[in-house]
Amino acid sequence: MSAVTVEATRARWSTMRVAIGLVLLGWAVMFWTLFLTGRTYLYLSSRTAWLVPMGAVIMSIAAIGRLWTARTEKEEPLESRTAWALGVIALPVVLVLALPPSALGAFSAGKRSTYAGSAIGATARDVTGPLDFVDIGAAQSFPTAMQELEARAGQPITLEGFVTTDASAPPDEILLTRYIVTCCVADATVAQVRIVGLPPGNYPTDEWLEVTGAVYPVGREVLVAADTVQQIPVPSQPYLTP
Amino acid sequence: MATTRTEPQTAPPAPPRATQERTWLWVTLMLAAVALFARFGHPMQIAWLRNLLIIFGSLLIEAMPFVALGAAVSALIEVFVPPSSFARMAALPRSLQIPAAALAGMAFPVCECGSVPVGRRLARKGLSPAAAVTFMLAAPIVNPVVIASTFVAYRGRDSQWLMVGGRFVLGMIVAMCVGWVIGARAPGELLRGAAVTDETDDHDESRGRRFITHLSGDLVFMARFLIVGGLVAATIQTFVPASIANHLASLPVLSIVAMMALAFFLSLCSESDAFVAASFTAFGPSAQLAFLVFGPMMDMKLGALYVGTFSKGFFRTVLIVVAAVTLVACLWMQVIWG
Repeated sequence: MSAVTVEATRARWSTMRVAIGLVLLGWAVMFWTLFLTGRTYLYLSSRTAWLVPMGAVIMSIAAIGRLWTARTEKEEPLESRTAWALGVIALPVVLVLALPPSALGAFSAGKRSTYAGSAIGATARDVTGPLDFVDIGAAQSFPTAMQELEARAGQPITLEGFVTTDASAPPDEILLTRYIVTCCVADATVAQVRIVGLPPGNYPTDEWLEVTGAVYPVGREVLVAADTVQQIPVPSQPYLTP
Repeated sequence: MATTRTEPQTAPPAPPRATQERTWLWVTLMLAAVALFARFGHPMQIAWLRNLLIIFGSLLIEAMPFVALGAAVSALIEVFVPPSSFARMAALPRSLQIPAAALAGMAFPVCECGSVPVGRRLARKGLSPAAAVTFMLAAPIVNPVVIASTFVAYRGRDSQWLMVGGRFVLGMIVAMCVGWVIGARAPGELLRGAAVTDETDDHDESRGRRFITHLSGDLVFMARFLIVGGLVAATIQTFVPASIANHLASLPVLSIVAMMALAFFLSLCSESDAFVAASFTAFGPSAQLAFLVFGPMMDMKLGALYVGTFSKGFFRTVLIVVAAVTLVACLWMQVIWG
């Protein structure tokens, strides 16, 4: 009889705690995967990339701790409501891990506000260094930055970006686009430059190109006269951080 | 031995268990179906879906570590800070508690997703709800990281100090106003009555076990609302162009309302929203300030978190007070600075 009593109070696996532990483990695995494969930069800027290892560590502690303490003396069944809630929590993990790596494309370029910089040309940046999308974005928003760019008209520039369709443009022109991301892709703003004098060819929307040419500020717009155009794979860091 | 495990006294009734097991099976099947579609259904070739999934993923990948940090701080408070400390604070006059709580937000450098679990914990632990809410709303605006990011976003502009100072001061004022309206409500009136998943605290357990119970409980509790809010925000970002607000930029009152609405729907992190606000160059500084003060206190994902965490009327109270005070203050700014 006493053996029965001892057995009845012995700790058993709590279904709910195990389920919670497994879902949190899924989040930990997702954060570690993003961190170790470099896929963090498909979602976050280089400025906030540190969040991923931090999330991985806290989620690992929570998951391992929950599984470690999953044996309880009282019964804790997994109720239907909790099971559905855990399914919702696991959903982003499944999506991020199962989806092929991909960066934000041309679809949202017209829906997002244009990058306006932070008067970059006027203050903190090395205006004698290589020009990039951030300089062009600033020049299209601020007169001071545009003046500095005008002083460098005709200078060589190399840009990497994806093709955005402009239906009204002649066949030898495209818009080359790059997103500027401060924290996560949700805050992405658009930097665009018109590439003119393209060599004959097919430039489908969303294709990534490396364009080398000369930069020419014209009014409030910036043009790049293309010398060479090369198709490239999506960069490991597809978004720029100001 | 085997009979002891299946004693009728300890086993739950058969029908509910069968239902629960079926639910778990359905959930697993649903996740497997999603995984198969994500892997082999080529969803990233559908432009709008690719856009939506990337924004949804990025919102969560940024917000969840902050929620996890907030949950860890919350669990530490629960396990290591004795209730008597909060009882002493709660005994102070409210006119002292509320400003002190707003200033305390300066010491908590996380965005709004991290401050919700901490605010909730403080209220559960015995701090007056008015002070807990003031802290929760002020922290994402007045902390040093957010001040620095606002400073950098407006670098080189005439309105730089107006935006940095205005955001700090107005953020404090709005948070304190909400605290004042919450007033003398009891914690039971503020927090949602529903039981918190997995939060059966046993004070006889070791501190380590209690820490894990509260950490995982808070994470599971907050995550579901964050995910629902994040999905709605990502859908709106995918289909509604941000330029829709530009038509209202030159209208005196509507420009402020439009920027507040934009902040609500974009659901940005308070540490990055200044860069987006700065990109709306068509709007004056007062409308941009409304974006920067309203957004960290009220947006889609926060709305979902508030509804899940707090009592029914809380969301409405915060929405009305934050919107009204921000609008009136920014209107005054518009009169003075444009």
